Amino acid sequence: MGADREKHDMTHTDIAFLLADAADEVEIGIAPVEAVVRGGRRRRARRWAVATATALVLAGSTGATLAVTGLPGHTDRNAVVVAKPSTPEARHVYAPQITEVAHGTDHGTSWRVVVSVWGAPRDKAEAAGQLAAMRRYGLERAVLPDGRHLVGMTSYYSGLYYGDHPLRTAMFNRVEKWEPLSGTDLMSAALPLGEAASDGPERLVVGTVSTTARQVRCGWKNGTSTMAELRAVAGSPVTWFVCTAPDRTSYENAEVVR
Amino acid sequence: MGDRKQGGNEEFQSFMVGRWPRLMRTAFLLTGEQHAAEDLVQSTLERVYVSWRKVGSADDPEAYVRRVMINLHARKHRRRLKEFLAPKDDSGLAHEVADTGDRIAQADDRSTLLGALAQLPVRQREAVVLRYWEDLTETQTAEAMGCSVGTVKSNAAKGIAKLRAIPGLAETVMHGGRK
Repeated sequence: MGADREKHDMTHTDIAFLLADAADEVEIGIAPVEAVVRGGRRRRARRWAVATATALVLAGSTGATLAVTGLPGHTDRNAVVVAKPSTPEARHVYAPQITEVAHGTDHGTSWRVVVSVWGAPRDKAEAAGQLAAMRRYGLERAVLPDGRHLVGMTSYYSGLYYGDHPLRTAMFNRVEKWEPLSGTDLMSAALPLGEAASDGPERLVVGTVSTTARQVRCGWKNGTSTMAELRAVAGSPVTWFVCTAPDRTSYENAEVVR
Repeated sequence: MGDRKQGGNEEFQSFMVGRWPRLMRTAFLLTGEQHAAEDLVQSTLERVYVSWRKVGSADDPEAYVRRVMINLHARKHRRRLKEFLAPKDDSGLAHEVADTGDRIAQADDRSTLLGALAQLPVRQREAVVLRYWEDLTETQTAEAMGCSVGTVKSNAAKGIAKLRAIPGLAETVMHGGRK
């Protein structure tokens, strides 16, 4: 028994030794921190895009309205800097600020991507009114929050109109305070460029970057890439971008290159 | 809020840089291929980043990371491994054991072991790597694999038995492990 045990332990020790030796064959390299953080943020953004509203990650502290400063050159955003207009209409509670960030034609069908930014309701009554307005606007039930969770929250929705098909949401969130993006920070979501029921390749990419970003490149799975168009969006303190992939390929990654 | 987020990012980056080498080695043993290992570790850490607020404040963040990695490996790398490492004749381990002159037996001990690992069913491979490379206890291994301790014991024992049966590996072990 003792000999068996010794043999058993010896074997396991040797296996451990061999495993350690084999593991040394891998090239460790430098930890790609930036790539992982970018990937994590993209993953978080994609999760937001498909999550139900109650599962959204909420950022920020108290403050029922935006208090964003320092957005030179974007007069359409300065409206939110002024802050705290008194009526819900002036705060865009029932009628969002809408910006078209891209449009085009795909196989003869016109499409456009719009971003709507909804001001924060101050009480339950305003929240109920906003929820009704969101339904009228065409937001899908799956992305609508419970009205109770709208109070104090600014909501944004990016979505695709493809031909005559209903609005399809790409990236959305509700925030007490916009999460600041800086440097090469990037959040994006990809979806098929097609009709609502399409399960085709994810050829449409919508995302946000910091206002200091000057160039964003979208990479496709076929190895090619496209430079994105950057757009300011009314009511949003970040820059938005849209890319579309060529036929027969789909989204691989996106990054701020300058 | 900004400071807290910044602090969380720095903590994550520090965690990642510190754990990267070991995670890469573990992933390499699990996948058997450099790029697959990098892909596995990056995918794992991306998920960890998303949940870092929760993971970073946990008592044992490494246990969470291991669990994520094993889940991902089981889900994503099962097929790839065969593509990279399986011999052309995929008729099973017993066939290779009988042939002392085959190419696995002729390879050096590292590739012999990697090849032998590749032949193990994925759960046996995970159990062997976690128990004998990560040096986890059976309980820790069970937590990482999301199974019972008994299942870990069974998978590890079967995996080790199969590794010992590989002629090239047995020879290496008999001669002290490293040539």
